[in-house]
Amino acid sequence: MLTYLGRRLILMLPVAFLVSVVVFALARLAPGDPAVILLGEEHDPTAVAALHHELGLDQPLPVQYLVWAGRATRGDLGRSIQTHQPVLQAIGERLPATLELGLAALLWSLLVAIPLGTVAALRRGTPLDYLASGFTVAGVSIPNFFVGVLLILVMGLALRLFPVGGFVPLNQDPLLNLQHLVLPALTLGTAGAAINMRFTRSSMIEVLGQEYIRTALAKGASWLQVVRDHALKNALIPVVTIVAIQVGSIIEGALVTESVFSWPGVGKLAVDGIFNKDYPVIQGIVLCAALSYLTANLLVDVVYAWLDPRISYR
Amino acid sequence: MALVLLFVTACGGGTGNGGAPTSEATPKAGGTLTYAIESELRTLDPLASTQLVERTVMYQTYESLVTVDPQLNIKPGLATSWTASSDGTTYTFQLKTGVKFHDGTDFNADAVKFNLDRILKAASSPRKSELANLQSVDTQGASTVVLHLKKPDSTLLAQLVDRAGMMLSPAAVQKLGADLGRNPVGAGSGPFKFVEWKRDDHLTLTKNADYYGKKAYLDQIVYKPITNDDARSAGLKTGEFDQIRLAAGKDVASIKADSNLTWKDLPGLAFGGFELNHSKPPFNDKAKAQAVAEAVDRAQVVKNVFFNVSAVSHGPIPPSSWAYDASEKIYDKADPNKAKSIATGFTFTMKVTNTPDNIQEGTLLKDQLAKAGITMNIQPEEFGQLLTEAEAQNFDAALVGWSGRIDPDGNMYSWFHTDGGNNDGKYSNPQVDKALEDARTTTDQAKRKADYDQAQKLLVEDAAYVFINHPVAAQISTNKVHGYVLYPDGMPRFATVWKS
Repeated sequence: MLTYLGRRLILMLPVAFLVSVVVFALARLAPGDPAVILLGEEHDPTAVAALHHELGLDQPLPVQYLVWAGRATRGDLGRSIQTHQPVLQAIGERLPATLELGLAALLWSLLVAIPLGTVAALRRGTPLDYLASGFTVAGVSIPNFFVGVLLILVMGLALRLFPVGGFVPLNQDPLLNLQHLVLPALTLGTAGAAINMRFTRSSMIEVLGQEYIRTALAKGASWLQVVRDHALKNALIPVVTIVAIQVGSIIEGALVTESVFSWPGVGKLAVDGIFNKDYPVIQGIVLCAALSYLTANLLVDVVYAWLDPRISYR
Repeated sequence: MALVLLFVTACGGGTGNGGAPTSEATPKAGGTLTYAIESELRTLDPLASTQLVERTVMYQTYESLVTVDPQLNIKPGLATSWTASSDGTTYTFQLKTGVKFHDGTDFNADAVKFNLDRILKAASSPRKSELANLQSVDTQGASTVVLHLKKPDSTLLAQLVDRAGMMLSPAAVQKLGADLGRNPVGAGSGPFKFVEWKRDDHLTLTKNADYYGKKAYLDQIVYKPITNDDARSAGLKTGEFDQIRLAAGKDVASIKADSNLTWKDLPGLAFGGFELNHSKPPFNDKAKAQAVAEAVDRAQVVKNVFFNVSAVSHGPIPPSSWAYDASEKIYDKADPNKAKSIATGFTFTMKVTNTPDNIQEGTLLKDQLAKAGITMNIQPEEFGQLLTEAEAQNFDAALVGWSGRIDPDGNMYSWFHTDGGNNDGKYSNPQVDKALEDARTTTDQAKRKADYDQAQKLLVEDAAYVFINHPVAAQISTNKVHGYVLYPDGMPRFATVWKS
């Protein structure tokens, strides 16, 4: 198991390298000059040229890449062009907010998906199943930003149940923190809930058709026991895969939601970075996101073994 | 350039009440004002600042050598008086005494020299072009400072109102170094002190209890960057925010109709419209530029895109300026037939920023021009890309506005002088150049107004730029906010504000 883990960790290196080259190139292929954006209304050619020099943007691209990559291997992702803040520090400051939102969204999606998916599988073909499927289609099809605005207008403005945006740190006021968390978490979790519900349902249907289920029932186990102890545990393996990918994509999914709710997380940092062509910020976040994907995938394989002892590693 | 496009929607012609404080009740001290702004700031160092939202904080914490009243007359700030030499190249300022920065150090002539020298030494600062004519700074004792200019510049005082004239504590600037932009503790001298800034979350100012002048009423101001238009307007309606800087055009009517909310506005300094590239076809042919100017229905744009929260524009000088001439109304009404008789049957591409408001405005203009047989294609682009291409003259027309300056020179010279820094369309008219240069070298306001009248008439007629609207400066708050004074520059000055 340890050798396996070690091998997987080493394999992450070339992937990280490729990601760094691609993101470096993509950020620069996008049109727009960060110095012009930074100076905005007041950009005049001398100021732009001076800023290019200050930022090292007057160097050839390969040189710029090597400088950046060299520092990155030492854990220095550079400083934001816009704010001069070290990128790693900026990401670190925002990570707790993003993780909180991402985990809350995931929790919400699982709370909805697993019971609903199980029930839909058990009551296959009934109106309940159709309702659940309808929820899936809607959840996956309606874009995040629309769900977000809808929730702001209905739950925030019309019913005044929750604040419409902003953030209060958990350690400052836990209750206010949770109140601010509800709408963004619902927004971010809805699409995930729909997908997870779909996976739970189909996987459950498949498992329920297995012979060991029939055997268990024949041995006199109650329907509830069979579902809980035999069917659900096995049905959840594909769900774990998809959930893990969702964990890895917390940052990505939060891009839109954090912007809509002014949630001070990594996603909002990324969106602002992209709009401002803040190369170090874009590169730093994509690199971190890629690493978190890789880590999530690794964890999935470990969790598999726990869920299904027949899976072994060489 | 182009900032206007980002906040065009807060413009209007509604219930102007600028100038006088807005409430008769007795002011009450205390409380926190939550102010939602439409984007996060980048820096609080005036030397590096380029964004309007940054100034909404700086105007509370920093003070400038001179300031303006709500009619835009220059008033004493940290300087109590000033004299200009007869040739206009030397300005001598007498400074206020007994002023302390928030870090406890003294404001004096050395501090002024330190701050202005920072600008002179900076390579990439946008302030450099604002004080392009400043040669050197001398001190005479502790409270007299002399500015030597390369040539006469009647815009100097107006430039010193804003960031170029803001005085920061030299001790704080040196101590903070690169952190000044993010954490300017102790750097200002204004009625509010900087406390903390947690990016993308909040920025807090607290009342300066040791302020030498009239102290502020509010205990605290909390700035919240809320980028989503719906969230900002909804937060105002639920009382989460006491005041917002900007509302989307579509929300204006519902805010005005809400009896718990206050909407006041007055004409601002900005102009909106589109620039034409006079250096290449089709608009190197003046007739084609004029045909476009003739065919545009400004009133319809103001009504349909800006929900009437904006004034129709007839030139670069806004109604709030002393140089405004209400009688000049060239291209007042759209006239497609007259446009056809000047030039028709040509095609051009309009570059617009890829925001819904700008694309909507572009679509409406396309429709209007079609009536005169002119084909306009719309090309939406990212803001930064649009700026870069405009600067490289890589455009036919570009929907790019200007946030406006206190002095009329700031709305004209850089845009319409042959050598102007913002003259992306390469417009050139020797008569306009001369009038703009003359206006810079005299301090006689009547003479300057005559120069600007002449320049404006010529450049509007030439269709140097197609002017469409003048956005407004607005107060958008709950009824709990009192004492807010509207200035045409749109900057809040929260020292007079109190909450009930």
